[in-house]
Amino acid sequence: MRTIGFKLIRLVIVVLVVTFICFWLLKLSPEDLVDKIIPVGSEAAKNKMRSDIGLNDGFFVQYWHWLSHFFTGNLGYSYLSETGRTPVGESVRQSLPISLELMLGAQILALVVAIPFGVVTAYRAGSKFDGASNSVAFGMLALPSYVLGFVLLLYVGAKWKLLPTAAPAIDSFSLNPLDNWRYMLMPVISLAVGQIAIYMRLLRSDMIATLQEDFVTTAKSKGIPDRRVLFRHALRPSSLTLLTVAGLNVGALIGGALVIEQVFSIPGIGSKLAQSILTNQLVAVQSYVAVIAIFYVVLNFFVDIAYSYLDPRIRHARAAA
Amino acid sequence: MPEQPRSETEDIVRSLATDERRRDVPPDEASLYLAAAEAGAAPHEGAARERLGLGAWLALIWLGALITAALLAPWLPIPDPKNDKAAPALFSHGPTLAHLFGLDGIGRDVFSQTIWAARNSLFIGFVSIVIGFLIGGMFGLLGGYFRGRTGAVLGGTTDILLAFPPLVLALTIVAVFDQGLLQVTIALAIVSIPILARITRASTLTWSDREFVLAARAQGGKHPRLMFREILPNVLPAMFSIALLGIAVVIVAEGGLAILGAGVGPGTLTWGTMIAAGQSELRTAPHIVLFPCVMIFLTVLSLNYVGDVVRKRFDVRESGL
Amino acid sequence: MSWFRRTTTEQPAGSQTSTRFPEAPLDGSLLDVRDVKTHFRTGRGLVRAVDGVTLSLERGRTLGVVGESGSGKTVLSRSIMGLLPKHNVERSGSIRFEGHELIGASNDQLRHLWGTQMAMVFQDPMTSLNPVMKIGSQITEPLLYHLDISRDYAHETAVALLESVGIPEPERRMKQYPHEMSGGMRQRVMIAIAIACGPKLLFADEPTTALDVTVQAQILDLLQAQQHERFMAMILVTHDLGVVAGRADDIAVMYAGQIVERAPTEVLFSNTKMPYTEALMHSIPKLGDPSHTRLTTIGGRPPNLIQPPKGCRFSPRCPYAQPKCFEEEPPLVSSDAPSHEFRCWYPVGTPEGAAALARNQAALSNGSG
Repeated sequence: MRTIGFKLIRLVIVVLVVTFICFWLLKLSPEDLVDKIIPVGSEAAKNKMRSDIGLNDGFFVQYWHWLSHFFTGNLGYSYLSETGRTPVGESVRQSLPISLELMLGAQILALVVAIPFGVVTAYRAGSKFDGASNSVAFGMLALPSYVLGFVLLLYVGAKWKLLPTAAPAIDSFSLNPLDNWRYMLMPVISLAVGQIAIYMRLLRSDMIATLQEDFVTTAKSKGIPDRRVLFRHALRPSSLTLLTVAGLNVGALIGGALVIEQVFSIPGIGSKLAQSILTNQLVAVQSYVAVIAIFYVVLNFFVDIAYSYLDPRIRHARAAA
Repeated sequence: MPEQPRSETEDIVRSLATDERRRDVPPDEASLYLAAAEAGAAPHEGAARERLGLGAWLALIWLGALITAALLAPWLPIPDPKNDKAAPALFSHGPTLAHLFGLDGIGRDVFSQTIWAARNSLFIGFVSIVIGFLIGGMFGLLGGYFRGRTGAVLGGTTDILLAFPPLVLALTIVAVFDQGLLQVTIALAIVSIPILARITRASTLTWSDREFVLAARAQGGKHPRLMFREILPNVLPAMFSIALLGIAVVIVAEGGLAILGAGVGPGTLTWGTMIAAGQSELRTAPHIVLFPCVMIFLTVLSLNYVGDVVRKRFDVRESGL
Repeated sequence: MSWFRRTTTEQPAGSQTSTRFPEAPLDGSLLDVRDVKTHFRTGRGLVRAVDGVTLSLERGRTLGVVGESGSGKTVLSRSIMGLLPKHNVERSGSIRFEGHELIGASNDQLRHLWGTQMAMVFQDPMTSLNPVMKIGSQITEPLLYHLDISRDYAHETAVALLESVGIPEPERRMKQYPHEMSGGMRQRVMIAIAIACGPKLLFADEPTTALDVTVQAQILDLLQAQQHERFMAMILVTHDLGVVAGRADDIAVMYAGQIVERAPTEVLFSNTKMPYTEALMHSIPKLGDPSHTRLTTIGGRPPNLIQPPKGCRFSPRCPYAQPKCFEEEPPLVSSDAPSHEFRCWYPVGTPEGAAALARNQAALSNGSG
C-alpha cells in the first residue's frame, strides 16, 4: 500500500510537470499567439482575446489559471473568427471515446493475434513455420501503419468497395462499436499490424527463454499436455514482459492512432488536433496535447500497478518491505 | 517504466549471486547441452562471424543506391521535380516508360520527386538521430556511469520527456515553431533524446560493472578515461544498431507529421509531404501516394535488417532495447 | 481453463485407448534398459552424453547412479523418462518399462506414464517450481489431469500429500507461492508433486545438491520413507557416493556416458574393482578422520564427451593406467561376486592392478627425483 502511495505522489508530480511543459511550450512561440490564432481581426478583438486567455498576467499566474481551468473541464476554445468560438472540452468529450475505441481495438487485435503466434513459434523454434512467421513479422515491423492504411483504403475501400472509405462527421458518428465497426475495421487493422510484429517477436524470444526454465520441465514431467504446459505454465511469466512493453508501446500507439485517424477521416482526437494545427488554434493544440499526455501518464501508472499485482514475487517483496 | 534499466541490472546482479550460490554444484556439462538443445538450436559459436546473407546484401545495395541517388540528385538526368516543362499537360497519369512513377496532378514527374524527397527524408532521419545520440548518448553514458545524484537528475529529465507520446511532442514543437525542415529535424531529435539516452544508459550500466572496467578503476583510471576508453567502445556497437533503427523510425515519423499537417511544409519535398499532398487524390491517382510509401517501406525494411545484422554480430542483448 | 481437461473426462482412468499402453504383466523387472545411447548434435560435434548404458531395476528397489559432472547421469535419467528436447537429439537402444518399449513411443503415450507411472524430483527446488503459480494448484494439477476426481477431493489429497512430506500447516501452504518457502520446503513440495499420482518409479536427480547441508539428510530420509510406504522403485542420481551409500540397494558408477562399475551397494564398497570408483570413495569425507584431513581429489579434467579418450575413457586420469588402457576399451565384465560388473584391465584389489599402480608410482618418483 505504501508503494502505491509513493507511485500516486509521483504520478501527481509527473502530471504537473507535463502540464507545465505543455503550457510553457506555447510561450516559446516566436510569434504573437493571438496574431496566429486570428490572423485577420481588429486590434480591439485581439486585445479582448488576450485578456480572455489571460495573456496579460504574469507567467505563473497564467499557468495557475490555465491549470485550474484545465482540471475543472474548461479546456479553452477554438476560435473560428473574431467572435465565434467552440469549446475544446466539448470536442474532447466527443472525440476521445472514438480514439480510445481505435486504440483499444488495435491493442486487442494485436494481442489476440500475437500471443498464439508468439507461443507457437517459440514452441516450434527453428521450424519452417517459425522461420516464415518471423520473416512476415519482420516485414510487418517495417510497414508504417499509414502505408498499410493507404493500401487498404485503395484496395479494400475504393477498388473492391468492401468497406466505406470515409467515416461520417462527428455528429453522426456512432460511438457504439457494433454500429461503427465498418468504419473502424480498416483503421484498427492498420494500427494493429506493427504492434502484432512487436508483440510476437517479444513473446517468442521471451518464451524461448522461459521454455528452458526448470519449472517447465517439471510441468512436462507431470504428464500434462504440451498445450497446458505452454499456456498455463510458460505464458504467464512471459506475459508480464508483454504487459510492460504493451504499456510502453502505448506512446507509439497514440502517435499511430493520430495519423491513422487523419488517413481514414475518423473524427477522433487526432483529427481534431490536426485540424487545430492546420488552423493555428494553438490554445486548442495545447489542450489536446495535455489531454493525450495525461492519458498516457495515467495509463502507464496503471500498467505499473498491474505489473506488481500480476507477479506474486514483486507483490510479496513489496508487502514485506 | 522509468526504473527499468536499474531493475535490469539488479536482475543481473541477482543472477550473478545465484550463479555464485550454484557454483558449488558442478554444472553438468551434458545438461548444458541439454539446455542448448532444448532451445531448439545447436549452440554454434562461429555464428557471429558468419558471412552476410542475401538479405543483408540486398538491404545494403538498396541503401547504397538510395543514398547515392539522393546525394547526386541535382546531377542526375531526371526532370525537375518542381516544374517539368516536358510534361504535356496539367494532369496526372500512372507509370509510363517516359515517367517511370507517373506524373502528379500538375504534371510533375513522381520519380524525380521521390529522389529529391529522399534527400530531405534521409537528411531528417540522419541529422536528428546524430543530434539525438550526441545529446542523449552523453546523457545515458553519464547517467549510467555516475549512478548517484548525477544519474538521478539525468534519469529524471529523460523520464519527464518520456512522459509525452513521442509523436505528440514532436507535433507540438512543430505546431508552435512553424513548419520547416529545420524545425522538423530538431523536433524529432528532441523526441529521440530521452529514448536514446535510456538505451545508452542501460547498456552503460551493464558494461560499467564488468571486471575489466573495475580493474581499470582499481588501477587509478580517471573517470573520462574509463568512460570513453573502456566503456564507450563497448557501447558503440549497440548504439550503432539502434541508430539505424532510429533513422528508420524518424523517417516514418516524418511521414506521420506531414499527414497531420505538421511536417516540413508544402514547399519542401519529402516522402511525407508527397504522401500528404497526394492523399486527397488517392482514388484517382494512387501512384502519387503509393510510390513514396513503397520507398519508406523498403528503406525502413533495409535499415531494420542491417541494424539486426549489426546487433547479432556484436551480440547486443535484445533486453537492452 | 477447463477445456484443457476435456481429454481426461472423456476417458475415465483405466480405460484403454490407442494413446495408452495395455495393462502390463506383473512379472519381470520394472525397468530394463539395454544399450541406451543419447547423443546431442551441436555445432562443435556430436556430444555422446550417454553412450551405451545397460541396467535393470526391480519394483521397490533403489538404484544409485553416481558420477561427477559430465558423466551423463542426469541425461541418463532424462533419457529413460523420455524428457528430452525434440530437436538435435539422437536416442537409441531399448528402454522397457513393465515390458513396454519406451523408445519410439509417442509423446502422447509417454504423457500417460509421466506422473502416474514414473515421476521425477529435480535438482534445484529454487527453479523447479513455477514462480507464479500457487503451491496448491501445482500439486493438484497432475491429480486433476490424471485421476478422474473432483476439485475438492484433489485439494484434500494435496493437503494430505503436503502433510505426508512433512510440511507444517499444509492448508496455509497451499495458498502460498514458492518464493515464500525455504529451499528444503520447496524440495518437499517437489516430492509431493512427484508422488502425487502414485508412480511406480521415482527419479531423484541430485535432489539435495542445491540444499543446505542441514536439510540434505532430511530430504533423503523423506524420499526413502515415501519410497517404502508407497513401494516405489527409485533411481537416485548423485555425484556423492556418500549420499547413496546407506540408501541404495545397487549402485551404478558412471563415467563419460558409460557405466564403469555396477554392484550391490555392499559389494561395491567392499570389493571395489574400478579405479574411478576407488577415487570417488577417497573423496568422501569420513566421520573418523581427524579434522582438517585433506580430501583426495581426482586429478585431471572431466572427459570430453565429443571425442572421448581412446581406450579406457578414464585412462588419462587413472593412477593405474598402462599402455593397454590407452589403446583398448575395456568391456563390462563380471567379477566373482554376483551381479557385480566393471570395466577395467587392471582392477583394484587384484595382483595385476597392484603391479600397475606400483609401476606408475615408481615411474612418478623417478621422474620427479
